[in-house]
Amino acid sequence: MDLAANVAPAGVSAVPGNRGIWVGILCELSEFALMFLAWAWFRHVHPDDFHAGPAMLNLGSGIANTVVMLTSGYLAVRAVLAIRRDDAIAARNWLIATLLGGLVFLLIKAFEFRWNVEHGVVGTGNSFVAMYYYLTFNHLVHVVWGCLGLIWAILRAQFGAYSAADHEGLEAAVLYWHATDLAWIVIFPLLYVLH
Amino acid sequence: MTNIDEGRATIVWLGLVVLTLGSAWLGEGALPAGLTALVVALIVGLKGMLVIRHYMGLGEPGSRLRLAMRMYFFVVPVLILVAASPGG
Repeated sequence: MDLAANVAPAGVSAVPGNRGIWVGILCELSEFALMFLAWAWFRHVHPDDFHAGPAMLNLGSGIANTVVMLTSGYLAVRAVLAIRRDDAIAARNWLIATLLGGLVFLLIKAFEFRWNVEHGVVGTGNSFVAMYYYLTFNHLVHVVWGCLGLIWAILRAQFGAYSAADHEGLEAAVLYWHATDLAWIVIFPLLYVLH
Repeated sequence: MTNIDEGRATIVWLGLVVLTLGSAWLGEGALPAGLTALVVALIVGLKGMLVIRHYMGLGEPGSRLRLAMRMYFFVVPVLILVAASPGG
């Protein structure tokens, strides 16, 4: 596949997707990097909160959401592979499966937040719990953005906008989804694993 | 994007899931804190590199974008290691 002809001038190497989505991805990851620094700082300042924190959370929900995100990312790769074969219907179906993964993630998060409230895990007076809500709510917002991007790509695929020769928009939606997956890859151990 | 095929994509997905379950096992306090921090940092770095290389398709040698993304998944694991080690 030659994306260079679509997105980059001659002599400049092409990037996967398009340049615009990489601006968004690098901004997203920079934002999370600052939050990871805040996690390290508050862990240093309030070690007791952070040593006891992970045991307060629902580990099963954290594991389930991680597996769902990784699986959804895999389904997104299958969508790209399908459109490269010029199979737009299969690509659309793989994107729908990817989106369903995102919706399952949100449902598990809703269950987890409800479980938290029932078990007194609220963000007042505890640095770990406050950090947990800042990180997970922020990630949740990015999952919602990613879902909206996937819906747009599904609609475009449905109406024949993508082909083996031109599917830059589909790739961009998938790349953003992977970036959201990358953020969760870091968040999961910070909150659920490291005592 | 990536030049991965279906078979390799599936193997990478299985590897990512296994690494996740390994992380969860560490959360049960199976290892001393310092060793847990080290293994978790390595797992985060490895998972990040797998997604960047195979799913996002940043495999072109010399690409500044690939360098930036790889640096991210070098620096963040180091941060984890420093912050989560005993006395960190």
